[in-house]
Amino acid sequence: MSTHEHILSCRGLTKDFVLHTIDGRRVEALRGVDLDILPGEHVALAGSSGAGKSSLLKCIYRTYEPTSGSVVLRLRSGAEVDLPSLSDQEMAHLRGRDIGYVSQFLRAEPRRGPLDIVTRAGVSRGMDRATARDAAAVSLKRLNIEEKLWDVHASVLSGGEKQRINLAAGTISSPQLLLLDEPVSALDPANREAALELIGDLTSQGVAVLAVFHDIEAMERLASRIVLMRNGRVEMSGNPDLVLEVLTQGARV
Amino acid sequence: MNNDWALKVASLGKIHGITDLRALEDTGPDIGTAKSALTGSIVAAWDVGFEVAPGEALGVIGESGSGKSTVMRCIAGDQSSTAGEVYLRSVDNGRTNVLDLDPSSRRRLRVADLAVVYQDPAEGLRLNVTAGGNIAEALTAAGWRHFGRIRDRAAELLERTEVPLSRMDDLVGTFSGGMRQRVQLAKALANEPPVVLLDEPTTGLDASVAAGVLDLIRNLLEETGVAAVVVSHDFAVIEMLTTRCVVMNHGRIVEAGLTDRLLEDPHHPYSQRLVGAARA
Repeated sequence: MSTHEHILSCRGLTKDFVLHTIDGRRVEALRGVDLDILPGEHVALAGSSGAGKSSLLKCIYRTYEPTSGSVVLRLRSGAEVDLPSLSDQEMAHLRGRDIGYVSQFLRAEPRRGPLDIVTRAGVSRGMDRATARDAAAVSLKRLNIEEKLWDVHASVLSGGEKQRINLAAGTISSPQLLLLDEPVSALDPANREAALELIGDLTSQGVAVLAVFHDIEAMERLASRIVLMRNGRVEMSGNPDLVLEVLTQGARV
Repeated sequence: MNNDWALKVASLGKIHGITDLRALEDTGPDIGTAKSALTGSIVAAWDVGFEVAPGEALGVIGESGSGKSTVMRCIAGDQSSTAGEVYLRSVDNGRTNVLDLDPSSRRRLRVADLAVVYQDPAEGLRLNVTAGGNIAEALTAAGWRHFGRIRDRAAELLERTEVPLSRMDDLVGTFSGGMRQRVQLAKALANEPPVVLLDEPTTGLDASVAAGVLDLIRNLLEETGVAAVVVSHDFAVIEMLTTRCVVMNHGRIVEAGLTDRLLEDPHHPYSQRLVGAARA
């Protein structure tokens, strides 16, 4: 694969929030982000809270509407699309199929069991039900969700179990680009290990990953590149060792 | 896929009182009222437009009095509209503005083209008729004649909406609110309409009952591929059921977008207040 075939290309991405409830105050979350990601590349976003890491993920997924700039995604079909220019319906259609997003929390799924939730995620992305069910079972097993919990309503499960269900649902079909926002924050060491392995496997299958982790160890383990953000901008980008050295020394560039 | 809509609404408007378009100038979100000081008319809805694709659910959110239910009732034909166009793909392949149809043709759309689930089951059901009888009415309107087959189909629908079959021959008036809503859903789906309008379908039910009805609606929407419009003041309902929504305020759409975007990044001052209030 040519190195020019980026899965994702962001140019000049900005996001301003205008808070009408506070006299129209303007808050700049992103101030011009340029970022390219290749197939099979795992890019970890680092930086202190408020640096714009989650805002960047949400602007790409269009949970936030970017204020300006372009976000070009290469689809499975090979076509390139500028996500902010798509209609809402077109964007909804790409979600899950070409671009996946796994947040820290399980969203609004109170009364379904893990197997049902993950299977439906597969079906909504175009898998047939039997295939989706098999894939869901494999994924739940891998993430150590006990089989006796598979039909228990997710609302009564623990935070760590919900997070793993969320990860299983978000990764059931391999998207072109997977956005991860602290996907292992509530997991104990053994389950965290299983989750990181699953994410690492996706990367080796060619999925491009853009992730926010709160711990440096996960970044060291998975990232092929680290992008350090500060104040809504990319401050530095490069080899994980180098960036982590800068980070851990608290040095400023 | 952009042209693949099951329901298309354009420039829909409803003015109560004299139809004097000058009322548009002193009403709406910027003015802060739906009542015109100039003409005395109430602009319940104006310039409302959206498209809904098969298998898609669109939310209409806003406070009471914002015009949500007016829009739904104008689409359904329960209320006459002052202006606008409504197209159904199942009617003349979407070329006929159904607002132009004569009243009896308009009523016939409710048999198999367009179903409505009301907040108050008494509007969608006859309470002095049995659950099976209510569904049979919908089926006979669509031309079903064979008694045995009608009963089988009614039983199948009630089972699907989780109404115990032992209650099939009981009057709906003896049912609880949640159960009535399930019967209304069964009746609405009886003739497999391509479009269904749901007006506050869980409002007024106990929290646990509402959650059960919500789960059921969500399953039905996913499994039938119907195009749905969900009218609600409740963000939890909109978030659970829809991928896109429009926000209404004083009779106008003030913002439209992906549902998660509207909840996390609302733009219009009114949407920001609405989301802020829901989170408080």
